Formats: sequence, C-alpha cells, structure tokens
Amino acid sequence: MLDLNRVQKELKEIERDKASGVTVQVIGSNLQRLTGTVQGPADTPYSGGVFIVDIQLDDQYPFTPPKMRFTTKVWHPNVSSANGAICLDILKDQWSPALTLKTALLSLQALLSSPEPDDPQDAVVAKQYLSDYPSFQRTARQWTDTYAAKGRADHEEKVARLAEMGFDRAASLAALQATGGDEQQALELLLGA
Amino acid sequence: MGFNVEIKQWRAVAAWTWNAGDDVCGICRMPFDGCPPDGKYPGDDSPVVWGVCGHAFHLQCITKWLSAQTEQRCPFCRRPWEFKAAATAPVQEEPVTIQPQPHALQLPR
Repeated sequence: MLDLNRVQKELKEIERDKASGVTVQVIGSNLQRLTGTVQGPADTPYSGGVFIVDIQLDDQYPFTPPKMRFTTKVWHPNVSSANGAICLDILKDQWSPALTLKTALLSLQALLSSPEPDDPQDAVVAKQYLSDYPSFQRTARQWTDTYAAKGRADHEEKVARLAEMGFDRAASLAALQATGGDEQQALELLLGA
Repeated sequence: MGFNVEIKQWRAVAAWTWNAGDDVCGICRMPFDGCPPDGKYPGDDSPVVWGVCGHAFHLQCITKWLSAQTEQRCPFCRRPWEFKAAATAPVQEEPVTIQPQPHALQLPR
C-alpha cells in the first residue's frame, strides 16, 4: 500500500516552501502519478529553463524510489536525449526512505549543475561533454531555449480546452506536461483511466 | 487556627512522550507519539527504536526498510544499522507532571 499520508504531507511541505525552485502537482485522483518541475540552475546552460519531470510512485513508496523522468528534452550526459531517462544513484540503489520528492527534485537540479560524464545515461552527450565542451554548452543552451523556456506557453491552448471540460487548470497543465503535450493522453490521465 | 485538608480522592494525569530528539519518524513522517501506517495504537503498539548512530524510527518503519535491503544502513546517515540496546536508549529526564483534577479534591465539611 502506498503511504498516502506521507505523500500528502510531502505535497503540503513543497507547497509551503515556494523558495525551493521545485514544484509538484498531482494529476488525477490518486497520488501515484505526479508532475514535478525543476528550475534550471543559474550559470549553467540550463538557466532560465523550467524542466518538467514525470513522477510515478509505486505501492511500496517510500520504501522504493519514485520513478522520475524528464519530459522536457534535456541535453545532459546523465539524461537520455531520446526519452528523458535519468541516471542518478539516489533514484536507484542509493534511495533512502528519509529522502523525499522534494529532495529528489533538488538532486535533479544539482545534477543539472554538476554532470557526471563518467557515469553517462546518454553516451553521445557524455562523449561531446568530454571531448568538445564548448559544443556541448552550445547544444545544451539551444535545447533549453527551444524546449524548456516555453514549455508552459505551448500548452496554454490545450489547458484552456481541458479547463472548459471542467478540469482544474493546474491539474490539466500537469497532465499535459506528464504526457509531453498529448491532449488525448492527458485527458485519459485526468479521468484516471 | 488550623485548617486541615483531608484528600479523600485524587486522579493523576500524566503525559508521556518518546524522547527521540525529533518530532516525527523520518520514514513515515508521523509523530513518534502517534502511529506508523501499520500501527493501530500509539505507545507500546508503535514503539520507537534507536540505532547506534543515534537516529530514531518507529520499529515497524525501520524493520520494513531493513528487511528490503541487502546492506542494513540507517536511512539518515547511511551508517551500518545496529539497534541500540534498550537499556542505553535515552531516558525521559523531564519530570512527569501530575495534575490533580480540581473536582477530585474534596474539602471536609
């Protein structure tokens, strides 16, 4: 059984702490599918970007790590440029139940600041990072400007349509972010299908 | 002039708390004085245990975590987990407050 009590406490805590630079939004009616956002750290090619993270909690959470994946495209050695899969130890064998969604998202933010090219998720990006750092920076900046800077604006129209059907605006946005902007899938998520 | 008060009956009310140095269990985030998700009653049914590293958790919570791990480590400091012997666990040092209920004090007629 998922520890609903703890997840709800975590959500309240994140809600209270507006200064942390991370947010989490519930999608639909159960607490197993959530959408997080991480702000790109200053003085990195990710600054100014808002990166959306799809979060799934299984029945054993917090005894198992949350499943996290970037739905915003990110050019980073430890993030798959194809599907957003993240290589980070605390999301795998170094998870601890003393960690939370907030600390995990803050760890993602720290990962954006300090890539670990020797333990890559995306070999192509890692190779470029090590052999041609200026090109890496250029590409990462370009991806941030293209995908992370206007992620919200892109969904405006779809959010409006979902809101018209009677769904909460924030939940609609979260669902769209989780599905990479697919309106039909977002609708199914909102309906809890 | 003497005024003798004879206490015929009194009721004591005592407050208890786990002296865990923290209010909530780091695993379930519920107060130590309350129950973990699997517990029904606070107190002896939901005991708090300490590791030698000094970190405390509900017994149910830390047991569930340790049983799923190959390496037994404290969720907070990642030091190898060993239960601290009960006798050396911190003892409640604050005096227990006993408050006689006003209505229980009966003055002689």
